[in-house]
Amino acid sequence: MWQSIRSTLGHWVRLLGWCSLLLLMISGPYHAQETAVSPDQDVDRLKRATVFITQVESENLTTTCVGTGTLVSYDGLILTNAHHTVLSESCPGDILFIALTLNVGEPPVPKYRAEVVQSDIGLDLALLRITQDFDGRLLERDSLPILPFVPLASELTVGIDDTITMIGYPDIGNSELSSLRGTLTSFVAERSGGEQSWLKVRTVDAESIPGTMSGGGVFSRAGELVGVLTSAPVPSGTSSSDCVVIEDSNIDGFINNNDRCVPLGGFISVARSIESAQPLVQAGSLSLQLNTLTTPTFSVQTQGEPSISTPFFAPAVVNNQPTTVLRSAPAGTDSLFLFFDYRNMTPETVYEVRVTVDGLPNEALSLPPVRWSGGTSGLWYIGTAGQTRPNGRYGYRVFVDGELAAEAPGIEVGGPALEAPQFSNVTFGLLDENGNLGGSGYVLPTGNTATARFIHRNMTAGQSWTSIWSFNGQRITSSQVTGAWQDTGDINAAITNLQPAGGLQPGNYRLELFIDNSLSALGDFIVAGSQVGPLARVFTNIEFRRAESLTAEPVRTPGTNYPDGAHTVYAYFDWEQIEAGTLWTLQWSVDNQVFYRQTVPWSAPPSGEDYTMQLTAPGGLPDGTYKLELLINDVLLAESEVSIGIGQLPIDRFNQSDGVRLRGQIVDVETNEGIEGVAFLLISELFSIEDFVWEENQLYALAITDREGYFEVDRPLEFDSPYSVLVEVDGYLPLGVDGFEISRERLAEEGGNPFELLIELTRD
Amino acid sequence: MILNNPSPGRPLTQTQRWSTLFTIILALVMLGIGLNMRAQITGAVAAYEDTRIGIRLNYPEGWLLDTNSSDYVFRIRDMTRAGFKTTIQISVRPVSSATTERNVADQLARSRVLTLQDYRVLNIGMGTLGEIPVEIVRYTYNDQSTSPFLQSFSTVVEGLDILTIQRGQAIIISFRAEADSFDDEYPIFETFLNDLEF
Repeated sequence: MWQSIRSTLGHWVRLLGWCSLLLLMISGPYHAQETAVSPDQDVDRLKRATVFITQVESENLTTTCVGTGTLVSYDGLILTNAHHTVLSESCPGDILFIALTLNVGEPPVPKYRAEVVQSDIGLDLALLRITQDFDGRLLERDSLPILPFVPLASELTVGIDDTITMIGYPDIGNSELSSLRGTLTSFVAERSGGEQSWLKVRTVDAESIPGTMSGGGVFSRAGELVGVLTSAPVPSGTSSSDCVVIEDSNIDGFINNNDRCVPLGGFISVARSIESAQPLVQAGSLSLQLNTLTTPTFSVQTQGEPSISTPFFAPAVVNNQPTTVLRSAPAGTDSLFLFFDYRNMTPETVYEVRVTVDGLPNEALSLPPVRWSGGTSGLWYIGTAGQTRPNGRYGYRVFVDGELAAEAPGIEVGGPALEAPQFSNVTFGLLDENGNLGGSGYVLPTGNTATARFIHRNMTAGQSWTSIWSFNGQRITSSQVTGAWQDTGDINAAITNLQPAGGLQPGNYRLELFIDNSLSALGDFIVAGSQVGPLARVFTNIEFRRAESLTAEPVRTPGTNYPDGAHTVYAYFDWEQIEAGTLWTLQWSVDNQVFYRQTVPWSAPPSGEDYTMQLTAPGGLPDGTYKLELLINDVLLAESEVSIGIGQLPIDRFNQSDGVRLRGQIVDVETNEGIEGVAFLLISELFSIEDFVWEENQLYALAITDREGYFEVDRPLEFDSPYSVLVEVDGYLPLGVDGFEISRERLAEEGGNPFELLIELTRD
Repeated sequence: MILNNPSPGRPLTQTQRWSTLFTIILALVMLGIGLNMRAQITGAVAAYEDTRIGIRLNYPEGWLLDTNSSDYVFRIRDMTRAGFKTTIQISVRPVSSATTERNVADQLARSRVLTLQDYRVLNIGMGTLGEIPVEIVRYTYNDQSTSPFLQSFSTVVEGLDILTIQRGQAIIISFRAEADSFDDEYPIFETFLNDLEF
């Protein structure tokens, strides 16, 4: 009898085993991909990380501005343009609705609200954070699902003629996401961001890029975010094809020209380099807030209309200064920059540079209308570096707010290099006893004398030359020296001095050098601080003090190491002899990643102590080594570090965008209907099902099925990582699999992301 | 046609009688063992202790434990349940000497109304947990799937908070279940409370 029972039991166990095995079989994809996957990048991932942004006025919930953005972190940070998100005259909305691409191939669906957490109006970049559900309920950090995102490229890894993908919404939310293949036609250099400030882009078939894609991403072949598509904001109140009326904003029962139009922006041909966005994203991802507590006593205000003057060309840029002034360039020239002075500009000012070659417009070298990022006044440059120019006569015209502001004299590129007399490479300092020029080159201390050194080429004895110094934009007539050239060296350095009556006062100085009454070179420098040897001592005594909360008083004793952490850190420094309005740069970084960099006019008294800043984060400062750097004219004048906690940023295990996107459906094997509310447990590769003791920290991810039994794992799975899967729900036989791993090859075979599963459960 | 079978049945042998009896007894024993095993499995508990907070408790085995959150110090969820996962959690908040349980309840209500959809307090009353006086808050809200990529209906959830102030901190013990099955699930919470020490 026992034998019979054992035999029967064995039969049932085997049968159960086979049934379980069948049930445990997790099928491959069960329906075709909606989108063709590019061989070199996961377009599906990029599309899912792209959002549609609608700025709305809360008063009557009418749309004020629209644009595109890209999710750059799993916890809801969105990188986009400032002009359609930050409250302004042309975009007066105070609510930002975020619509997601739920299904590629369909229009976006509004799901959340967001707030601006970082912005730079001039760079036209804004970082948003999803903070509320669509109905306005606050979303706590850990109640937000892990969202699909695209990481920023750590450095610009694209080159000219590289293939790129541009993704955004082609209209005001009526259509599916547009993914345009194109090429990077050139880089445009600008003082705001160096040689790769702007990426000039063009679609493969020269299709226009609509203005609503502004704020969308430009992606490299590797799928990294390398640029932000940018168009100039449309001025308010201009109803045209660039601005459409879609709602009854004045609630008069009619939709007509009396209603507010929604600006769409002009066609896009340029993208802001991602390098400009990195500090914003770094600060946003760590929730760092920097508050300046020193009260300004001076404010820079524009006086009059924006103006552009003194346009000239230079072959190279050193420390934001032209090396020399060009009137022609030889064939094969690969770097050419237009320099000009500007006044009364604001971040809202829109400027444009139109370039012609032999009278024909050259799109690759031109800069379409974009916002101004250079502050109120100064010396600016725009051009290209390392890109060979075809021969021809180049014409540059600068437009400000749509009006022609300056036209540079044309420059001829071509022919042999001319052996013309030339001055170049002006630098400044103080002479020592041996006649050597010392100092930082572009920041001099207050004193009696400023000395400039410059290089001269092809000068002949007796040739007429002139030097003129300026102070705060006004030429010092007494400083003008005109004479006949006496040095006969072919290439040599010469010096000239400024010894103003009353000594060098703090402020902005310029030296202009002329040959035969033509400008040949110029250089700007700033006088500030006291003299320590040849260097200027401007910023001193940097100190850090910790505080227990945002409102608590900082401790009295300064420190540079807080191993037990800090909620808030106060930073102090002393300063001396800085003229009001002098541009200075404040830069903060953590673990050598810049999260704050602002160049602003000096607004405190000329000298003082304890310039105070407060660095904080809502949950306390993350561990890391924080560095404060103080610069003028890009010359580092003071720096100091403070270490918080372990002195290193914590590793964020969720910050992974690459991998397998897993989704699927759990169905009843008999009815083939989806089962709602079933938990799909993906156990970390460190544990097997046998090791799993139902602790959440053993899970890699957790997903719950929706009303049709669909589930989606919100974290990408790592390739070739052996996870375990457990599905256990009342009323059904449990299902478990160890060693569930997906290789890149298998994912490719199955058609790429997302990897789809069909799980069938049997009733018990 | 009616056929009669006049042949009388053979009486059972003693062995057959014992066999029948043995089979019945065996079946009953097996049934008893099965029921006992089921009771052991369904009633099995896991122990948990947090000396930092000062709590010791037992919770149903097979519920998913999470202690790594800034919102709570302990949370268990019945992941094998379809629909809303019945949840028990304990959170701790700092209080001053002037703070009362009622203050904590009001603070909770103010913050939850901002984060939980259609949050409503049903009633607030006094009670005891063992011999400790506690504030008891019953509430309801609509729970939604957090994934924007899935389509789910809201679930009406009923919740119960037990609040007490001990050792200078407010301890909030929360029980949440689908409103339709709240009463059925409540005995689990009662058992949990009976074993809870703090």
